[in-house]
Amino acid sequence: MIRVVKLNKFFGEKQVLKDISINYQPGECSLIIGASGSGKTVLLKSLVGLFEPDSGEVWYENILFNKLDFKDKKNIRKEIGMLFQGSALFDFASVEENVRFPMDFFTDWSNEEKLERVNFCLKRVNLQNVNKLFPNELSGGMQKRVGIARAIALNPKYLFCDEPNSGLDPHTSILIDQLIAEITKEYNMTTVINTHDMNSVMEIGDSVGFIYNGELVWEGDKNNILTSSHKELNEFVFASNMAKKIKEMMK
Amino acid sequence: MKNSLELLGRYFLLMKIVFSRPEKGKLFWKQFFIDTEKLVLSSIPIIAVISVFIGAVIVIQTASNIESPFISKMYVGYMARESLALEFCSTMIALILAGKVGSNISSEIGSMRITEQIDAMEMMGINSASYLILPKIAAATIFNPLLMVMSFILGLLGGAIIVMITGIVTLSQYSEGLHYAFRSYYIFYSMVKMSAFSFVITSVSSFYGYNASGGSLGVGSSSTKAIVVSSVTILLVNLIITQLMLN
Repeated sequence: MIRVVKLNKFFGEKQVLKDISINYQPGECSLIIGASGSGKTVLLKSLVGLFEPDSGEVWYENILFNKLDFKDKKNIRKEIGMLFQGSALFDFASVEENVRFPMDFFTDWSNEEKLERVNFCLKRVNLQNVNKLFPNELSGGMQKRVGIARAIALNPKYLFCDEPNSGLDPHTSILIDQLIAEITKEYNMTTVINTHDMNSVMEIGDSVGFIYNGELVWEGDKNNILTSSHKELNEFVFASNMAKKIKEMMK
Repeated sequence: MKNSLELLGRYFLLMKIVFSRPEKGKLFWKQFFIDTEKLVLSSIPIIAVISVFIGAVIVIQTASNIESPFISKMYVGYMARESLALEFCSTMIALILAGKVGSNISSEIGSMRITEQIDAMEMMGINSASYLILPKIAAATIFNPLLMVMSFILGLLGGAIIVMITGIVTLSQYSEGLHYAFRSYYIFYSMVKMSAFSFVITSVSSFYGYNASGGSLGVGSSSTKAIVVSSVTILLVNLIITQLMLN
């Protein structure tokens, strides 16, 4: 479980996170939603330590993560997998080397064991016979899958995904969402996903937090998000004409 | 002034992180050899061509400036050797490498920064600065002095070729000049300079790449800054080392 308590973050004079408090449970896909610039990515990066919050606490189980030094954070980070918005695959490495990268650093496995694990992870994300390809030879969807394979390489307890569907067509987006949801349940991971894609919310949103101007203003799940009366949330959820028509039909 | 000091402070803080013990020795050496190939071996062709031509030009210029019949023609070889050993094969080659290698390093690391590849490493708990930068500094600082020696030899060869083609002095006069009052300390001095310049090029370029921001424009801008700052620092370091070692 991850527990966030009164998290604040400033960039200069501007406060981008305001007193965020929220819990993320294992075995669930927890979504952070909000408009562009609302502070979603800052929150996600503060959770994993890529940004230092100005005040507040981030707890991983019973460990206060944001007060640890680099060495101690490393022990937690071994249990974290992260899928970045642009996949962030290493250009200099093949697919196999990308997935093997964390194993090279943090395990003493033999090459055979590593290869076995690489192939297992790639198979798990429905990719085969791509070991020797380089990231620039893959489609956007395949890059995301390799990113997920790399994120789960060390069997993490926590998975963070920053806009996993950005740049993908609707069909591939749903496949990626389903894959993340399956893996979350399969390994009982605590998964936190940053998105503004309502399809993702309806597909996998076990719990949903809506960020508005740096504040967590609504919490719920995919079952009650459409019926909420929260004004800003409604403006976000029913922003498109299609969504507005659905809302009319629901009435 | 305040900004410059802040920048200098950030540079030294980065270097402190870079010079920490590599997490896995095996991975460090793997990266070290990759960077040796990329930064040192790949520079051989351009340095070879430049050195041969510079050697030839120095010989022509020196010969055309010795008009007095009382000055022996063997001084053409002597002057060419001293010019190459003291300045051209270290400072000039370093300035060329600042452009070639410096832009390569800053754009490579800068691209990794803006595409979140460095964040991905940090997320895994890897010291990205040490993993990416230390092997580059080590490879260039250790092996670039050998490039300087190669450049020196090829420069002298370029001089010999032009002597044979044009006959401005005889080959034996040129050869006699090359052997005249030879001080191996000058080669050592030049190798030390090259090692220091290589440190400047790789560390400064890495610093600008590592701190790149603002998309592809930011990468381009960091690359330009890396070349300019490396070049100016090379000239400054050249002055300091020369004062320390030759005065």
